[in-house]
Amino acid sequence: MESTSLKHLFSSYERNEKLFDEIFDKDNNVKQVYQKIFELYSGQSIDDFINLNNKSKSSFFNQGITFQVYNDDAKGHEKIFPFDLFPRIIDADEWKTIEQGVLQRSKALNRFIWDLYHNKHIIKAGIVPLELISSSSNYLRQMVNLDPPGGIYNHISGTDLIKHSDGKYYVLEDNIRSPSGVSYVIGNRNALKRALFGVFNHYQIHSVSNYAENLLEILESVKPKGVDVPNCVIMTPGVYNSAYYEHAYLAKTIGIELVEGRDLVVENDFVYMKTITGLERVDVIYRRIDDVFLDPLVFREDSALGVPGLFAAYKKGNVTLVNAPGTGVADDKAIYTFMPEIIKFYLGETPILNNVHTYHCSKPDDLKYVIENIQNLVIKPVDEAGGYGISIGNKLTKAEIEAVKKVVLEQPRKYIAQPIMSLSVHATYIDENKSFEQRHVDLRTFALLGNNKEFVLKGGLTRVALKKGNLIVNSSQGGGSKDTWVLKK
Amino acid sequence: MLARIANNLFWMGRYVERVEHLARFMNVNYFSSLDAPTKLSRDRQFVLRSISKMAGDPILDDKELIEEHILYNVGLNPDKPYSILQGVKCARENANSSRDLLSSEFYESINKFYHFVMDYPKDYFVNSGLHDFTTHVTDQTSILKGKMRGTLLHDEIYALIKLGINIERATQIARIIKTKYEDAEKTAEVKNKPLKNSFEWTTLLKCTECYDMNRRLYKKTPTQLTALEFLIVNTHCPRSVIYSLNQIHKHVQILDPLKVHEKHSAAFLISKMRCEYRFKTVEEVQDDVKGFINQTLNTLVEIGAKLETEYFYH
Repeated sequence: MESTSLKHLFSSYERNEKLFDEIFDKDNNVKQVYQKIFELYSGQSIDDFINLNNKSKSSFFNQGITFQVYNDDAKGHEKIFPFDLFPRIIDADEWKTIEQGVLQRSKALNRFIWDLYHNKHIIKAGIVPLELISSSSNYLRQMVNLDPPGGIYNHISGTDLIKHSDGKYYVLEDNIRSPSGVSYVIGNRNALKRALFGVFNHYQIHSVSNYAENLLEILESVKPKGVDVPNCVIMTPGVYNSAYYEHAYLAKTIGIELVEGRDLVVENDFVYMKTITGLERVDVIYRRIDDVFLDPLVFREDSALGVPGLFAAYKKGNVTLVNAPGTGVADDKAIYTFMPEIIKFYLGETPILNNVHTYHCSKPDDLKYVIENIQNLVIKPVDEAGGYGISIGNKLTKAEIEAVKKVVLEQPRKYIAQPIMSLSVHATYIDENKSFEQRHVDLRTFALLGNNKEFVLKGGLTRVALKKGNLIVNSSQGGGSKDTWVLKK
Repeated sequence: MLARIANNLFWMGRYVERVEHLARFMNVNYFSSLDAPTKLSRDRQFVLRSISKMAGDPILDDKELIEEHILYNVGLNPDKPYSILQGVKCARENANSSRDLLSSEFYESINKFYHFVMDYPKDYFVNSGLHDFTTHVTDQTSILKGKMRGTLLHDEIYALIKLGINIERATQIARIIKTKYEDAEKTAEVKNKPLKNSFEWTTLLKCTECYDMNRRLYKKTPTQLTALEFLIVNTHCPRSVIYSLNQIHKHVQILDPLKVHEKHSAAFLISKMRCEYRFKTVEEVQDDVKGFINQTLNTLVEIGAKLETEYFYH
């Protein structure tokens, strides 16, 4: 059988001119950073590529880098998180902006949360409205006036970025509760190294394997007062959690215990874990369970995942929780719109990364613009979560546009509007068509903040929407991922 | 080391060992019976009952057994707690819970093993895949043990897995002896031949992978005496009960070397049992083999329970 070259596959690559392509420029030329890899891939036949693709799939499967899917028969089926062999490449200059930008946001958010739970200067200054905070279910009154060790709330941040059709990065959201995905960054790199080791010789790529040791240093930097060498643990909801692989992976690579709530006990406001030789004190808990499940005595009474008395121990400063409880107040949609002001207020700096512009319908000028341009905007209610009540302008009929106008005009304060963002596209191998096609991608970055220490992983999780035209990259919606190379200077 | 995880490691070891013995028992009994010298030993019904009994599901009535059903139940039936499939599933679940402590190499092996068993076609298995499946299972368990030995730290984690493996091994060897002893009794009864020269002793040794070494040591066809001596009190035979007891004794001390002085602790019970075994002769055992084996099994259960209360439930 005659093999067709990969380049041949690219010859059927359809470019939508309106979209920003990560690999090809406007004139259909391969961009400089991608030239070498494109050349190298072209030397391979389709059959070789299919073979490689299957091998990388089974590699993930055998390593147990999977998540569970439940069907009608109630039996869990294991699925791999689809992985694409064509990496995303980010050059050193572009990365510098991203790195500085996400760090800036993390720091500003940390100052912001501190302020919210202490003096509330930003509210007094009239920058962020009080209702936004008081109405937030993620604002924990138990955290008021509480000083977390090292003054850090959001030790671990996962900022999601997209590249718009203007070629600029925009922040989509900041995840500062317990962002996941970092194990896939490392898993993807390993898989790509196994599959395409020859390619790596031609690029100077930053390693992603130093995440674990940096995370440990961050955890140790926020140890409770009076502790010399802290005992750090990771707390997981258990093996049935969809991110369990990540919890186990991190515990293993950091070399610390992976505990569940039932392994911990609080005595005299100190936290201990139950070991084979009795109780052992725990100082820092990187918890991967939500605030509400932490402690049934303080939050949800029916929580079987948490530890009774944990919050009291935290309040006394005898244990550090990472991330701190109550950080969720700062990563919701409404707060997002104030991020540029928040950065200016606390750091006195101009935001490095763009926020998607937001029109507040409460402002007359903005309202006027929104009403005149609904077809080009996404209209969102400020107080709804989970995507409820969102209208995407270009998907609406004329009648629907009129209906939205009416609703917005009735209660303008309740609505915000944003331009419809276009995610950039990246060549992605599509199994069923045996060819490369344009697919939308985003980028999750991982930033760490500690006591006098900060770190941004030089890499990230490029998530790709595998369905044609789809903008939703989440794995639950059939999304996959790519290895992300950050080049050295 | 977390008490809960210690429990997981211990049971992972037990399940890995358990499926190995069950798979081998199935394989050897089924295939060696095909050309066995006596009619009863060759009888399918007799063999299927023996397999089912060993798996922990003795068939008490005289009903005609359907071969496919028995093989499926013991091999791949997800609803039978004793099936090989369930055993592998439990082993891997326990490995999942303690995944952060295990090497990636070991985890990948147990994960592949799990997928092999889960994906094995049922129809093929009961019709012609018995040999393929059971030998694959025993090979995989050997690989797992190799990865344990070669890639894990030989610390308390390893000690806990080895404790599980050796308690299970002593238990399974004792159960195999018991099952084959009863088979030997039955065939001797039918043929009116002496029990000591039964063909079942050969099968017993093959079920435990001891036949070749037994021949090498005794240089004759296995008898009741040589088979039992080899499997119970020979300290050089890695399948013998005493060998496992020595291993249990060694590894329990890694957890806590001082516990042995505590009356009625697990370490104390193991030392006591081991001493009794060390000075036991097969001649003393032979008059009441079943009684001796039952006593062995009971003590092992007691030791297992002690370990649980001492280490796994703080």
